[in-house]
Amino acid sequence: MMDYTIERERVLSITELTRIIKKNLESSIELNSIWIKGEISNLTLHTSGHIYFSLKDENSVISAVFFKNVNRKLSFKLEDGMSVFAGGGISVYEKRGSYQFNVNLIRLEGIGELQKSIEQLKIKLMKEGIFDPSNKKPIPFFPIRIGVVTSVTGAAFRDIVQVARRRYPGIEIILAPAIVQGLDAHKSIVRGIEELNNPEWEVDIIIAGRGGGSFEDLMPFNEETVVRAFHKSRVPIVSAVGHQIDHPLSDDAADIAAPTPSAAAEIAVPVISEIKGELDYLVIKISNLVSDMFKNIKIRIINAIGRPVFRDPMNIINYKSLVLSDLESRLISAEKDIISEKKNSYNAIPDIHSLIKNIHSICINKYILVLQSVENLSPIGILKRGYSIIYNLKNEILKSTNNINTNDKIRIKLHNGELYCSVDSKKKGVIDG
Amino acid sequence: MDKKKVSKVHLDFESSLKELEKIAERLESGDLGLEDSIKEFEKGMEYAKYCHEKLEEAENKIMILQKGKNNQVKSKNLKINNNSEMEDDEDIQGTLL
Repeated sequence: MMDYTIERERVLSITELTRIIKKNLESSIELNSIWIKGEISNLTLHTSGHIYFSLKDENSVISAVFFKNVNRKLSFKLEDGMSVFAGGGISVYEKRGSYQFNVNLIRLEGIGELQKSIEQLKIKLMKEGIFDPSNKKPIPFFPIRIGVVTSVTGAAFRDIVQVARRRYPGIEIILAPAIVQGLDAHKSIVRGIEELNNPEWEVDIIIAGRGGGSFEDLMPFNEETVVRAFHKSRVPIVSAVGHQIDHPLSDDAADIAAPTPSAAAEIAVPVISEIKGELDYLVIKISNLVSDMFKNIKIRIINAIGRPVFRDPMNIINYKSLVLSDLESRLISAEKDIISEKKNSYNAIPDIHSLIKNIHSICINKYILVLQSVENLSPIGILKRGYSIIYNLKNEILKSTNNINTNDKIRIKLHNGELYCSVDSKKKGVIDG
Repeated sequence: MDKKKVSKVHLDFESSLKELEKIAERLESGDLGLEDSIKEFEKGMEYAKYCHEKLEEAENKIMILQKGKNNQVKSKNLKINNNSEMEDDEDIQGTLL
């Protein structure tokens, strides 16, 4: 029986009572670090970032609070009527004397089953070799037209267009519009991938995906038909599904996976100014190599021409004439009958003067021909097309910004002259050509 | 020259660029005679020309596939303005494949 006499020193203030309740509830093992299951109602997304709602079942209801610092990690949107598992514990709000469930984690009911079925599908497809790295096709180095399978209205397509155009302004993009979430999404995505595989569209690479979303939103990219379509694609295909933790199975079946649609565009489209720079560099390089070679040959020809035989061919003729007249005098001194005999054979010797002249003119003609082809292939021809060669003070050709400093003097060779300049400033990196 | 021959050898852009690099290496080695060097140089210039043409080839357009009559899929140019906002003058949702 309760003693109705009031012993003042044993009377509790409300605050004291509440503290005792709080201490008891919040330290109870039964009420903390537990999972509860219920339906969300009275959902309030407070401007402070905290989320307030009630969890109920057929008979009871409890208030719940999902604080900002823990609800940031939530991968899907809460809605009234959702059936969820909430992990956390009971806390007491002293000011109101109310208790509530303090939520640390929320899982959708049924998600466990979905994840299990994805795991099973993954094992099945793995056994079939759908994810084999040996089946993966190389990504083309330089695509002219990329195909995209995604929603026409989503941010994913806009992101892909923006990134692709920034890297290669001439790129052609062809979109196969698809529904990327909901029950019909998988059919739509498969149709898009199949259509872009039609050779008629001349697509070099396909990007199929969507922006980030909840686990359920990304489910179409875990559908068996979609995963198989990624695998079957004749055209190299990039899986571009925005995700943070769990990647969809399409990532495993695609030739390459990107964490976002923008990243997929970076994988698929090269930076064209870099390629142009490389190309120009190679052209100048081989031109220089060949013209150097011709310079060397020209010097060799000039040296050869400078030798006495070529410089004064008449020397040879004069020498031969001496031999000839010597021979003649010896012939004259010989016996007459022999003379007549020998004279006949002398007449048979061809005119040595004209023979030497012939050889000489043939040499000169060949030399002119070679000189002409040297002129045709010289770097001047290349310079006329707008290229220029830059030398430093040591007469070395500049191939990189590394070997030159600000205020250095440089010499720029153009086809019809030279410019003497100094470097104002320098900037690294490849500039659009 | 051997324009046709060289063009036939082209498989794609990447291998053309690689060929060009190889030619530069061969010329650089200095092992080639004059005539071979000229041949290599001409081949290199052909590859470079082809690559330049390829770079200029694409037209910067954006197309959208849609189902026409008889279920045939057709492409239609899609306009995107400077802010990358797509023009939805038509009910684009209705054109989903």
